[in-house]
Amino acid sequence: MVINQPIDAQPSALIPRGVADYFWAEAEQRRHLETLLLETFRRWGYGDVLPPMFEYADTLGSRANSELQAALVRFQDRDGSTLALRGDMTIAVARLVGTRLHDWPMPQRFCYAGSVFRYTELQAGRQREFWQAGIELIGATAPAADAEILALTAKALQRAGLVDFRLVVGQMGYFHGLLQALHLPPDQQRMLHQAVNLNSEAGLADFMRVATLPRAQRRAVEQLPYLSGQNVEAILSQADQLCLNEPMQSAVANMRAICHALASYGLLDVLYLDLTEIHNLGYYTGITFEALAPGLGFPVAAGGRYDHLIGSFGKPQAAVGAAFTLDRILMAKHSATHPHQTPHPVAPDLLVAAQDSAECLAIVEIWRAQGTTVAVDVCARQGRELGEMAHQIGSQWLLIWTGNGFDVYENVGPSQASAYYLSAAEAKLKIWQLNTQRL
Amino acid sequence: MTTLSDSPLLIALPTGRMAEETLALFQQAGLSTPSGNAGRKLILPSADNTLRYIMAKPTDVPTFVEYGAADIGICGLDTLREGGCNVYEPLLLPIGPCRLSLIGPADRSDVPLRYASQPRVATKYPRLTMEFFRERGVNAEIIKLNGSIELAPLVGLAELIVDLIETGNTMRANGLVELRVIMHSQAVLVVNRAAHRLKAIAVQHVLGALRAILTPAMPEQET
Repeated sequence: MVINQPIDAQPSALIPRGVADYFWAEAEQRRHLETLLLETFRRWGYGDVLPPMFEYADTLGSRANSELQAALVRFQDRDGSTLALRGDMTIAVARLVGTRLHDWPMPQRFCYAGSVFRYTELQAGRQREFWQAGIELIGATAPAADAEILALTAKALQRAGLVDFRLVVGQMGYFHGLLQALHLPPDQQRMLHQAVNLNSEAGLADFMRVATLPRAQRRAVEQLPYLSGQNVEAILSQADQLCLNEPMQSAVANMRAICHALASYGLLDVLYLDLTEIHNLGYYTGITFEALAPGLGFPVAAGGRYDHLIGSFGKPQAAVGAAFTLDRILMAKHSATHPHQTPHPVAPDLLVAAQDSAECLAIVEIWRAQGTTVAVDVCARQGRELGEMAHQIGSQWLLIWTGNGFDVYENVGPSQASAYYLSAAEAKLKIWQLNTQRL
Repeated sequence: MTTLSDSPLLIALPTGRMAEETLALFQQAGLSTPSGNAGRKLILPSADNTLRYIMAKPTDVPTFVEYGAADIGICGLDTLREGGCNVYEPLLLPIGPCRLSLIGPADRSDVPLRYASQPRVATKYPRLTMEFFRERGVNAEIIKLNGSIELAPLVGLAELIVDLIETGNTMRANGLVELRVIMHSQAVLVVNRAAHRLKAIAVQHVLGALRAILTPAMPEQET
């Protein structure tokens, strides 16, 4: 007896874990989203950059945060040097600016889109190959620069069709300053870091028991968990009162200036302030943020200020940027609209049986130039077969060339009478009213 | 101290209904089963002390047997394939017939699975699920759950689920339908590879007694 034989086994077509084929409507949606984001970035003055797919592992590895470092996909070049597939685009852009464009006037703005590769626990919208788009604003330290990245992130997400999202913004400087003021031994510093990072009340209570702190410091730590929410003004003034040193004060001042600038963009209502947001400590140096959409437990975009990265390649430059995860944006959009979408190819608006006529093909070219999608039958199908084909691929009209015009069938089923006749002269002027949204 | 080869066989049973049905089958085959109330004891001797039984979490049974902590185990074929444990599986038992199936919302149109680029699938069986989709060239996003799998499509955690179907009542009650059968499952008797040889007589005795009642028409096979 044969047990566990696949019941409806197909010809074997293994692909490695964590990569996927994208095709049909889904592939077009992906490209469309990518284009939409890039167009938005370009309108704000960001220029395209196309970094290489792989580089020396040292270049990428030594600069990445520890999480990314462990996740790089490494392999060997023929000369024995170790290469790595890009795990993000930011490091490549930093290398480009740090080593080759350092003398060009600042600030410089770059945008990109493409797939990146990481060995990670497979999770929603994070396979081993996943698609990113992003922006980097280099050479500007002013709060206006941070605000621009936040504003552009929000605008791009709106443009992508996400309606109800929040930008959760933190400031690393505040926690850095607090650690400086507390002068903790390393083990207590770790305790505090972990408690705040995990938002653990018990962890913070443990820390308070172990650490002996003067009253003002004690209060600053105890109140830290409350420094998050949408009421920006109240949180910032409370944070101000808790400041123990100059770095904390300037972090709050910086945050206030950024919020002020964001208000000018009309974006205060998507802002959620969170001074306890400290993951990626050590990589980001100023603001850090995540964009969250309802129905998806993972951020659709994330970013922050990283003023130390470019200096590792050459002359130091301030920088702030954001990266969008395309898969997650698509997922958030779909969970909001239609959860069970049947995979389907993108249908042409028109299917035309041209009978090899030059006149017919010339008319088809006119329609295509107008933006109508026209597929020409290349299998010399006739009558009923054509109707079936048009129905199957879902094209809105079927047109059959008759020698001096078209028989037009609308919303074809397998058997349907001609809706009307369209002469060649009329056809040249015909504007097709497309009733389907392509995406 | 008794040596390995003459200590009574240790049989691992999965907690729950499958254990009861297995013990009933053993009794029918004339094999000795634990007597009376076991109380809090974890290892239960049979009435005549020829066999000993332990109760384990169903997914742990193959592990106990693979490591030789138990000589024989009873578990579902689904559990065995998912765990990938290296044990002998000489005998299928007519207990717990069910299907491991791909299940989806009833309103999902039935198109070939390979048309979806990256379906999200929740399951207690990540390994079998991964294999099933890989064979079709599909990179499924597998979400491992430990229970209430039917919940996943209802709250948008996953589009599809892979789960056991016995009657299908839970599935239908939640607006779900069976899309593909991944494997047919039932109880299987597994034997540790070393015990199969070192305790050959005792193991064959158990196998023989069970075979005798399962296929009464066939003469009992002697090794």
